[in-house]
Amino acid sequence: MDNTKKLTITINDKEYKVDPGQTIMQAADKCGYHIPRLCYHPKLSIEGACRVCIVEVEGMKNFVASCCYPVADGMKIRTNTKDLRQARRDIVELLVDNHPEDCHTCERDGNCELQRLVYSMGIRHRHFVGERKHYEKDLSGASVIRDPDKCILCGRCVRMCSEVQGVHCLTQAHRGFNTVVMPAYNMPFAESVCSGCGQCINVCPTASFVEKNYTQELFEKLNDKSVIKVAQFAPSVRAAIGEGFGLPAGRNMEGQLVAAMRRLGFDYVFDTQFAADLTIMEEGSEFLERLQGNGPLPLITSCSSAWMKYVEQFYPDMLDHISTAKSPMSMASAMIKTYWADKMKIDPKKILSVATMCCTAKKYEAARPELDVHGMRATDLVVTTREMAWMIKSAGIDFVNIKEEKPDSPLGLSSGAGAIFGVTGGVMEAAVRTAYELYTGETLIDIELTDIRGFKGVKEAKVVIDGKEIRLAVAHGLGNAHKVMEMVRKDRNRFHFVEVMGCPGGCIGGGGQPYATANSIPLDEESLKLRAQALYDLDRSKTIRRSHDNPDIQRLYREFLGRPLSEKSHELLHTHYKAKLPKGIVSPELKIV
Amino acid sequence: MPTPLELIKKKRAEAVSRIIGKGYLSTKRVYVGMATCEIAAGSKDVMEVFQKAVSRGLTDVYLSQKGCAGRCNLEPTVEVIEAGKSPVKYGKVDKDRAQQIIERHLKNGEIIKEWVID
Amino acid sequence: MTATPFRIIVCDGTSCINKGSRKLTALLREQLDKHGLIERTTIGLSGCLGMCDKGPILVVNPGYTIYGHVTEADIPEIVEEHLVNNRPVARLVIQEDHLYNRFFRVFGDAKFFGKQMRVTLRNCGIIDPENIDDYLSLRGYEALAKAITEMTPEQVVDEVEKSGLRGRGGAGFPTGRKWRLTAKEKTTPKYVICNADEGDPGAFMDRSAIEGDPHTIVEGMAIGGYAIGSDHGVVYIRAEYPLAIKRIQKAIEDARAHGLLGKNILGSNFSFDIEIRLGAGAFVCGEETALIHSIEGARGMPRPRPPYPAVSGLFGKPTLINNVETWANIPVVILDGANWFKTIGTETSKGTKVFALAGKVVNTGLIEVPMGTTLREIIYDVGGGIPHGKRFKSVQTGGPSGGCLPEKYLDTPIDYESLAKAGSIMGSGGMIVIDEDACMVDMARFFLEFTQDESCGKCTPCREGTKRMLEILIRITEGKGKPGDIENLERLGSMIKKSALCGLGQSAPNPVLSTIKNFREEYEEHINEKKCRAKACKHLISYEIGDKCIGCGACRRVCPVGAISGSPKTKHSIDKDKCIHCGLCFNTCKFEAIAKV
Repeated sequence: MDNTKKLTITINDKEYKVDPGQTIMQAADKCGYHIPRLCYHPKLSIEGACRVCIVEVEGMKNFVASCCYPVADGMKIRTNTKDLRQARRDIVELLVDNHPEDCHTCERDGNCELQRLVYSMGIRHRHFVGERKHYEKDLSGASVIRDPDKCILCGRCVRMCSEVQGVHCLTQAHRGFNTVVMPAYNMPFAESVCSGCGQCINVCPTASFVEKNYTQELFEKLNDKSVIKVAQFAPSVRAAIGEGFGLPAGRNMEGQLVAAMRRLGFDYVFDTQFAADLTIMEEGSEFLERLQGNGPLPLITSCSSAWMKYVEQFYPDMLDHISTAKSPMSMASAMIKTYWADKMKIDPKKILSVATMCCTAKKYEAARPELDVHGMRATDLVVTTREMAWMIKSAGIDFVNIKEEKPDSPLGLSSGAGAIFGVTGGVMEAAVRTAYELYTGETLIDIELTDIRGFKGVKEAKVVIDGKEIRLAVAHGLGNAHKVMEMVRKDRNRFHFVEVMGCPGGCIGGGGQPYATANSIPLDEESLKLRAQALYDLDRSKTIRRSHDNPDIQRLYREFLGRPLSEKSHELLHTHYKAKLPKGIVSPELKIV
Repeated sequence: MPTPLELIKKKRAEAVSRIIGKGYLSTKRVYVGMATCEIAAGSKDVMEVFQKAVSRGLTDVYLSQKGCAGRCNLEPTVEVIEAGKSPVKYGKVDKDRAQQIIERHLKNGEIIKEWVID
Repeated sequence: MTATPFRIIVCDGTSCINKGSRKLTALLREQLDKHGLIERTTIGLSGCLGMCDKGPILVVNPGYTIYGHVTEADIPEIVEEHLVNNRPVARLVIQEDHLYNRFFRVFGDAKFFGKQMRVTLRNCGIIDPENIDDYLSLRGYEALAKAITEMTPEQVVDEVEKSGLRGRGGAGFPTGRKWRLTAKEKTTPKYVICNADEGDPGAFMDRSAIEGDPHTIVEGMAIGGYAIGSDHGVVYIRAEYPLAIKRIQKAIEDARAHGLLGKNILGSNFSFDIEIRLGAGAFVCGEETALIHSIEGARGMPRPRPPYPAVSGLFGKPTLINNVETWANIPVVILDGANWFKTIGTETSKGTKVFALAGKVVNTGLIEVPMGTTLREIIYDVGGGIPHGKRFKSVQTGGPSGGCLPEKYLDTPIDYESLAKAGSIMGSGGMIVIDEDACMVDMARFFLEFTQDESCGKCTPCREGTKRMLEILIRITEGKGKPGDIENLERLGSMIKKSALCGLGQSAPNPVLSTIKNFREEYEEHINEKKCRAKACKHLISYEIGDKCIGCGACRRVCPVGAISGSPKTKHSIDKDKCIHCGLCFNTCKFEAIAKV
């Protein structure tokens, strides 16, 4: 950086050289001042609503919101004067005055940004206590619960839902003191366009959004001796659950998790990564079929539950591009209740299939009737990484120090390809590893597709399979998915294969992952990178890195399914999607004249 | 090609002759206040009375509407402008007063002093 | 035959007064008396007629003969020659005729208009707003034609900047600077917006301007479009103004039909058209960034600035947004020039300002006065003073978020800086006069109730802070105030003023802070003595029946809680424990026997 172009500013009488083109907050961050903030989020547009980040700028009549005001040469900034401290304190008190006083019994007790702010502002008494708003909770959704009473109207969820996720389910309604965040027409979540991605939960500073909690129900079932309790857990759960126990991001806790789940009372612990390998076998084969002219291209992946709801609502005209392969979770559950139950000679009706997922939308997916197997619900319960972490704590299991254990066989062994399913680009990479070899019969030497790794919103790459150029696209976050779908809609020949994951970063950034810790922000880019690295490291550490090389997968086909896309596969591992038109969505057939 | 300024002057001349064609040079011009506030105070009824009178043969009167002149507490207002005389403005005009303005002022030249705004 | 009465207007603008116009008036009376014409002649004083360089000015009606540079020596000649012999004194007649003078040909003689000057409202009340011919006949669209023909866009911006015109929406930002910033931007398309989302309760300046003279706005916007390089204008107007909408719509259509809007206006290369967007009536949508959001189809909430609309406005494009009254000034500035416009007003605030004068004054109404006119002149000369012999108590300028000024500020001249210094704001032009019957705590509560209700709910200080302030005020007016309440109001008020996101939030505490500053003793009485001196706070008064009672029983019958008892034809009494202070008995009694104590 050309030093001569730097601006000179003073913060609290100390001089600093800073780069131009940034806000006061950004500049202050780099100078070692963490100006208190609330509605600000680096991934979202500037709201300027909470006014917690105000500072004094010499020559300005009013306080200035540092999150949006650009630095200028010679600017004299004060961050901590008496007036400012009182104003900031009063602003935070005003938020708390209109917030339930139930911290002890709140789900986010100890993990709440508002609570931390109240502490650091030194609010020890209340000056302005008065009326508090009250709205009913929305318990209707399968994935997300909305509690407007706890909402402090920072607007992060609204911006996340529209700017990053492109769902536009949430907005502020009513005015003034009665302002509340709700879906359009005040629809209950269950009837709204909510995709269930849970990103509102991720960015909410309080407990205004939380997942639909099944921990009590699960505890009860785990004590029921008449059922066989079978667990599975998603790739990215192991990469993030440590954070729920105060460990730094990026620790692979697979062994500890398996051990802890056994101690919770699960009879068998399988790994969703095994089913990820199975998904690759089916989806990879489906891709090859379509590549040979049997079915429309591009093929678009379908493992992400929020993404599926999104497609059904917003792209019902493109459902024939969606892979019919079920998600790994639903494939695992289907195999548990058929193949494995047969093998173990267990009545599948006695099996309780529980999935621990990084995802809130999986709760919705599990309840889809079209995923039932032989009239039974395939996945009985879904809990998030957060819920599992709490259960482990609540049951008094020493998660951090526990001796690592291995998942059970035969649905527990996975390849490295299955592991990277949890990060954006991973499904594509895994699919290419297998499709290449199934198609050409040759071994792919360079199996790491670096072009589609990383957190760029839409990634494009090309691979050559048997002399044919295959064009790939990868999107993470539904807003980016929207961009790719518009590209596809414009030119169906642009890509052959498209991977979409509904959450920023893929499943590692899922709506069910542990809350951000005190010194980080939700969906912090660094944490996401570390979680992703944990999965890439896991891939590298494995000798088997291609799904079709997984001996247990080979055995499953040999003993039960026959071959990919067999009749049995179609019955148990594939599904179909239907257009959904919640209120506010216009049918694509409807033409405006 | 005329400049815009020349064009607009031509347009003005045309506009003036159109207004005159509508009887602007009549000996009496009557303006009824027809802003929202005037209408709320009842000026539509007043306008109707004048319109009726004109259609029934009150000739030599140029009837027009106008916007708000600001006399809120005295609305509806009606102005009578006679060539060579100072304009007369009436306040709080209702149907009855309108009828009387027609009969006494427009037909007989009497300025009804007690309703005049000054 | 009765002789024609004369009406003589003497310009009573500051400049003419300085040149001795008031002496002329006295002399005029003398001369009229001498010729026996005094009975037939009325002498009216007008506000500045805008011909200051030719003052003193005197206008003789009928005929609208304008005399300039009139000296005392000229008066006998004018009276004798013009009034007696009907021969206008040619050497004194001036041909100067500003657009707005036409208004005074009709109205200049009324006392109400004495201190007024009609610049933006020059046509309001004298033309048929639905007839483009009326507008054209009064040099309508000539300013636009002049700009296109004789001026470059830069020259138009220069002229506006030179005129010293400032935003009439409230904040008073220099209009020319705004234009220059927008003109400078390279991004296209650019937009021009007219903010007609008038939301202040009791304010109707913009509505009246559009209803009375819609073409002025259309012309002003077209000039703005020419100046900044935009071909797309939007009038954002509240849906509650159906007549104004109808008239601006018709004005746009008529202008199009005459080639004054649309492609290649008046045969030039300049194209410009205007569309109308209706607002749903949210007060906050008068704030420019909220208004832009509303046009875009989003929820009307302000966003932080910078970036300013000049750089990133409607759909992220450079946008020139001005208020109705500002736009109405533009054709005058272009036609009569900045040099003329600058002569009106004060050092920092040029031109005139329109006010909706309301409350406890004799003449409520829509007025336009030159900047620099004092509050006293507006209230007593234009407004005619306080009715029913009551005492003046306070005047609130600037709509619901303005401050309440007491008597000692009555000589404050109207301009942006002076009003701010006195603790109020110019605002968009609401002016409410308050007499001794009003309780200032209750007034503050009333205004805050409005702003609190209309808060968009986005930023914490406004959404939560005004609610808490309102709660405290309600408590005080209900006799439940406690020590510390005033301090908490001040604490919250100053925080909100300095911290809120938009101008509406920042000014919301003004009525409270200004009444505390100017009428603190009333707050203290409410809190400490549970007393409301204006007897307006119903919880702090009780009703008593006095000796005038004849025992008619009317009050007893209307009392909803049965608090009044008494036998027929004997004095009744009120049970204060039962009384709910509804005031029905007070309003019902025909004998003024019931008193508030």
